[in-house]
Amino acid sequence: MRVTEQMRYDNVANNLSQLSSRQAKAAQEAQTGVRVNLPSDDPIAAAQLARLTASQSQVTARRSTISSVRGDAELAESSLQQASDLMASAKELAMQGGSGILGANERATLALQVKDIRNQLIGIANTKGTAGYLFAGSASESKPFSDIGAFSGNDDAHLVDIGNSTPSAVNASGAKAFTSAGGRDVFADLDALYNALNSNDESAIGASFDGLDRSRSQITNAQAAVGITLNKLDASDSLQSALDLQNSKSIADLGATDPAKAYSTLVQLNNALQQSVSVGKSILDLAAFKQF
Amino acid sequence: MAGLTQLLNVARDALTAQSYGLNVTGQNISNASTPGYVRRVALLETQNLGSQSGGGVRAVGLDRVTNDFIERRENQATGTSSAATARDQTLASIEALFNDGGGTGLGTALNDVFASFSALAANPNDTTTRSNVLAAVGAFTDRANATGDTLAQTQIDLKQQAQDTVEQVNQRAEEIAKLDMQIAQATMQGDDASDLKDQRTQKILNMSGLINTHTFTDGSGNTVVQVAGTTIVDGQHARTLSIDLNADGSLKLLANQSGGGSSEITQFLTGGKLAGIKEARDKDLFDVSQKLNALVFDVASALNTQHALGVGADGGSGRNLFDVGATSTNAARDVRVSVDVFDHPDRIAAASSVFSTPGGSDNAVALSKIFDTHIAVGNSKTAAQAYGDLIGSIGSTRANSQRDVETQAAILSQVQSMHQSQSGVSLDEEMVNLTKFQNAYQAASKMIGVADQLMQTLLNTVGR
Repeated sequence: MRVTEQMRYDNVANNLSQLSSRQAKAAQEAQTGVRVNLPSDDPIAAAQLARLTASQSQVTARRSTISSVRGDAELAESSLQQASDLMASAKELAMQGGSGILGANERATLALQVKDIRNQLIGIANTKGTAGYLFAGSASESKPFSDIGAFSGNDDAHLVDIGNSTPSAVNASGAKAFTSAGGRDVFADLDALYNALNSNDESAIGASFDGLDRSRSQITNAQAAVGITLNKLDASDSLQSALDLQNSKSIADLGATDPAKAYSTLVQLNNALQQSVSVGKSILDLAAFKQF
Repeated sequence: MAGLTQLLNVARDALTAQSYGLNVTGQNISNASTPGYVRRVALLETQNLGSQSGGGVRAVGLDRVTNDFIERRENQATGTSSAATARDQTLASIEALFNDGGGTGLGTALNDVFASFSALAANPNDTTTRSNVLAAVGAFTDRANATGDTLAQTQIDLKQQAQDTVEQVNQRAEEIAKLDMQIAQATMQGDDASDLKDQRTQKILNMSGLINTHTFTDGSGNTVVQVAGTTIVDGQHARTLSIDLNADGSLKLLANQSGGGSSEITQFLTGGKLAGIKEARDKDLFDVSQKLNALVFDVASALNTQHALGVGADGGSGRNLFDVGATSTNAARDVRVSVDVFDHPDRIAAASSVFSTPGGSDNAVALSKIFDTHIAVGNSKTAAQAYGDLIGSIGSTRANSQRDVETQAAILSQVQSMHQSQSGVSLDEEMVNLTKFQNAYQAASKMIGVADQLMQTLLNTVGR
């Protein structure tokens, strides 16, 4: 084949430009640690990365939902614990008041303590969390219990998506814990005790025992329900965190470079480029007219 | 005497012929790197003196070392390679639009919308959370608008590019016709017109880069140039091409008739920059735009339907989240945050019933669940899957096109090599030629010297 100078130049230039572009790509990969910089670098990986990133974003959103509703659920649990303790105290006062040796004055003093308990309980039932009043159902912007214990909230569930197939309710039901919707109107029971003590009615005091017990167990049941919700949140969170880890790993596997491999490729290409430059130089030096 | 005079004449002719050879060699050397220059070979032949042999040498002209077959191959390879390159440039810019690596792409914005609904479900009555939903929805529409606008602008730019390219084709055609005329004139005057022919070959090669070009010589020796299957230069006459749009917005290539009117030749456009532009614009870009519009439309419609079912913190319902058209046409460019909710975070419908405001979160959950619902591509894929598919198809189209560019460049470089090997100047060869002609010239001078000496000897002897 007849070889002309132009062919030599073109050859050297082509080889150099091909090597340089491969070297530039390898350098970018080694420098950034990212293998898929553009969809065309690896179309299949890029499509998978887009889906994984979406799934990862959903996992992150669920975890942040869990941590954000968790605070309110914990607050509801401890509030219900306090409420149950208060009901226990009320029951003790009732038993004291039921004793036949007490007079009207002593019972009136006990009645004041019961009233105090009832007010504390109303305060607890009106506890406010980050998403509004804890025991108000969906009417979370206004106090669910009035000063006399009248309920203006509802029994709506606060639903969130924590990764289960159906949305999960994460709020404690104030209606079921404190009002007749759960079987007993807790405040009415306390009022009954107060009235019995105040009116020095020994038999009415005795009759209130059963209601107080049932009210307390109603609150304890609500507390247990919140406990179950908290367990569910924990279980979901650990599942989502496992998914999180798995997704992060897949994203890294797909999109990131193996540093050792990237570096050795780069060194290899650097050497090749250097060699190509010096070979090119000697090819271009090879011209007969220089010898004449 | 006659013998000696003849020797002088032969030497004179040799000097002329060898210096012609030196001239041609010099021309080759000086044009060694001129694009399109075809090496010349000085044609020398023996000169007979009547029926007698023993004549001298004479230069009969030049040979332009070309090969029509290789030239045609080069034209074709140039066209295919230019088409691939032009298409790849557009694909590169489309691809850059869908690069989610930096977290600024449409996919990220879409994910953020769903994440904002999740946060809303957790905290339905928080003003900041509600505002965040509006912000996420706004970021999604902004991103969709920007992407859609850029695609539309690219489409307009590509039409302009196509027009410019056709303009260049027309100009080349005119130049080629003019060169044809000059070549005809020069040939008539007995000139070999090599330089003009070089220029014409170069112009045709140049034209091949713009549009698929084919040349042949007709019965009367004229070079006929055809582009996209249509004769554009015939002898010394050129006609023009033009670009128009079809009803569906795709490009239409027209060959203008000399008597007015035009005929469509789009289907014969197979190579050159123009073919690359046409494919990138009317196929690749169109495909991406369509998929993007469908995705944006599907997402916006599904979220609208669910949102309208819910109730805002103010008790209002039946409101849209997005303002989007009735079909997916231009959805990416035209989608906006609905005027129903714009600037009114309280109108975001987190609750499913007016009785469960403001703390109800059922509808927020339902909105976030659309993430997992098959709402896209004819209800067969989730939005994230559809977006992943879009990214994948953009990536593989570009990757294929990059491979295409490389393959075509390799083929072209091989053909160019063949062409060079045939028609290019080799300085090594020319150095040898230079020495050859120089030596021959020197030897011819010597012949004159010898003839002269012999003549002197003869004259001295006779004159005594």
